[in-house]
Amino acid sequence: MAEVTNEAELLKEKANKFFKEKDYENAIKYYSEALELNPSNAIYYSNRSLAYLRTECYGYALADATKALEVDKNYIKGYYRRATSNMALGKFKAALKDYETVVRVRPNDKDARMKYQECNKIVKQKAFERAIASDDKKKSVVDSLDIESMTIEDDYVGPKLEDGKVTLQFMKDMMDWFKDQKKLHRKCAYQILIQVKDVLSKLPSLVEITIKETDKLTICGDTHGQYYDLLNIFELNGLPSEANPYLFNGDFVDRGSFSVEVILTLFGFKLLYPDHFHLLRGNHETDNMNQMYGFEGEVKAKYTAQMFQLFSEVFQWLPLAQCINNKVLVGGHKCFRFTGLLLLFSPMCDLLWSDPQPQNGRSISKRGVSCQFGPDVTQHFLEQNKLDYIVRSHEVKAEGYEVTHSGKCITVFSAPNYCDQMGNKGAYIHLRGSDLKPEFHQFTAVPHPNVKPMAYANTLMQLGMM
Amino acid sequence: MAARQPFADADTADEAVRATCDDATTCKRFATSKGYWKDSSLQYFVRNVGERKAPEINRGYYARVQGVNLLLDAFLKKTQGHCQVINLGAGLDTTFWRLQEENLLPRKLFEVDFPTVVARKIHHIKTKPPLSKPIIDVHSTDSLLLESHVLDSDRFCIIGADLRDVPGLDEKLRRFQLDPELPTLLLSECVLVYMTPSQSSSLVHWAAQTFHTAMFINYEQVNMSDRFGQVMIENLQRRRCALAGVELCQSLDSQKERFLRAGWDQANALDMMAVYSVLPQDDVARIERLEFLDEKELLQQLLQHYCICWATKDRLNLGLSQLAF
Repeated sequence: MAEVTNEAELLKEKANKFFKEKDYENAIKYYSEALELNPSNAIYYSNRSLAYLRTECYGYALADATKALEVDKNYIKGYYRRATSNMALGKFKAALKDYETVVRVRPNDKDARMKYQECNKIVKQKAFERAIASDDKKKSVVDSLDIESMTIEDDYVGPKLEDGKVTLQFMKDMMDWFKDQKKLHRKCAYQILIQVKDVLSKLPSLVEITIKETDKLTICGDTHGQYYDLLNIFELNGLPSEANPYLFNGDFVDRGSFSVEVILTLFGFKLLYPDHFHLLRGNHETDNMNQMYGFEGEVKAKYTAQMFQLFSEVFQWLPLAQCINNKVLVGGHKCFRFTGLLLLFSPMCDLLWSDPQPQNGRSISKRGVSCQFGPDVTQHFLEQNKLDYIVRSHEVKAEGYEVTHSGKCITVFSAPNYCDQMGNKGAYIHLRGSDLKPEFHQFTAVPHPNVKPMAYANTLMQLGMM
Repeated sequence: MAARQPFADADTADEAVRATCDDATTCKRFATSKGYWKDSSLQYFVRNVGERKAPEINRGYYARVQGVNLLLDAFLKKTQGHCQVINLGAGLDTTFWRLQEENLLPRKLFEVDFPTVVARKIHHIKTKPPLSKPIIDVHSTDSLLLESHVLDSDRFCIIGADLRDVPGLDEKLRRFQLDPELPTLLLSECVLVYMTPSQSSSLVHWAAQTFHTAMFINYEQVNMSDRFGQVMIENLQRRRCALAGVELCQSLDSQKERFLRAGWDQANALDMMAVYSVLPQDDVARIERLEFLDEKELLQQLLQHYCICWATKDRLNLGLSQLAF
């Protein structure tokens, strides 16, 4: 018996040598022979599993890793192998379970912890991508709508589209109508949504624009349903027009109590000035967020669930990023992979997913999704893509904006006194074609009607604990 | 026909304060329905889960409930139940049922709140067997007093009183067998802040004078002089809810000082960020997976503006000053 074991060990040694020389075919051959002699050795299975991984035979690698654990459920390397195999097969949740096991058994193993965190990040990213992915097989709400036969009652005295089109007068009337907390007729809302869906669907995920020397572009960050603060921006900075272009960097809805008014206003201007009014998708332009943070509830309360479905579809068509004069990149919010010159660049993905940090490198917060990137990551990315700086949002800032990484990473946030709690200023950026240097303008919150915020939140959001 | 008098200002203010007990209860109801922690008695005080609350509110309540319970349970274990607990401004608190189920009841649990709040609570208890049965189960002597503004049983007593009338409070508690010799835990959650500093100091002083071996746990606002604090105060004012005692909520130091000044021997305080980080972290990780929080800053601000302060005096040398997170 000992002889057999010894012979098997020799075969294993031989296999290991081949493995070291990267001759995986032979390594596999000799591990297999070792296993024939001694089929209950976890190490042989585990080693062969690794060799299979190297030759990209992930299915075999998984089988071997599983077998190793069957033989010895305390063999930690077995969990590692199985996790790696599952990762390669795209089974991230399964891999995560095994990494958890390793981390639990070896709490001081830095490598194990790192792998666990990386895997966890991927699992969360995937979950988020599923949330934002458009399902081609689903029928569009548009198909089941018959706008033409929707009638507007005689007693509706609110704004209507002129010949089915959005005009400047319509926009002015609608903004006043909203200011008085009145509801736009659902037919008009549907008309806007259907038309804007059409416009957005023709845009690429990464929009490239050029602003001329003499032009000025205004970039705004999150507005989060704070309609009266949006009106204030237009008051301070002028209504959108061909001479006064705007870019709103996502997170238009949720949390604030007037998300419907904000989004219809922004969509209206998009229709009126399609080439001079830009909208990017934020992480709050997704179903999961809308469900939790109030937009879905608000749309259902003011209109219908079907209208929310349409909003949801329209959001999916929003571009994710905008590149200005090939020099300034304005980012959507959390992780978005997108087409265009910047695609397959995983560091890029990180940039839009995460938050800037002062120190170099990347770090993952102890829990949860957030990860951070340092000035070196920003620098490297900008160099690779020959950009000057990036502009991102989604983080509330006391001053409404923040400049980090020596001016290469700018945050802009346009929802002052966020959630009626934070007491922060809002800001927007002026970008002139002549020098592309950001000029910051701050503003404070204006009063708004004391309306119970949405159907899903309540005044406690402003009051804290009682 | 006499003209109707408008509500006196004081009564409007009191009414607003009383209404806060509903806020706490509905928030806890929502949070427990989402699985943040278990509390099967809440549903008998608030039937419907109600409107969705923001994730940071749910996490904030989680930290509050877990934090307070941690200290409370530590006290109960330290005294091996040979103690009494007085919950000042208890509202629709469900601690009695939790402790009864976990076999951690003190000799007697007293709850005090405004008579109208107490009346509501007692009404729920009277009309719902899942609430009344556990009380009856631990009651052995003959007379169980169940009136509209007072409930008195062996182990559980609910009294309607005004916490600003300290002599009245003292008299009522003693009437229902409060024993000053027993180690006593006093608890107030978002209560003292609604009284003036002088009123709350009378209460805290009375506690120090009355009990020689005791702990006082106070949960409420802190760090209120910054922008977030100011916005909170303004929002509450709009709701006619004045934080009359906010001046003592400037800092952790001011919170501790108010106890030391009033005759307590030792005082400790942690803001809720700190408490959150010392709660059992695997459970914290679990609740953080329940709902995705989009803006961590909101939670941080919230947690940094609330604190748990606990003060002790320990003539019996039980080691109360060692009780901590």
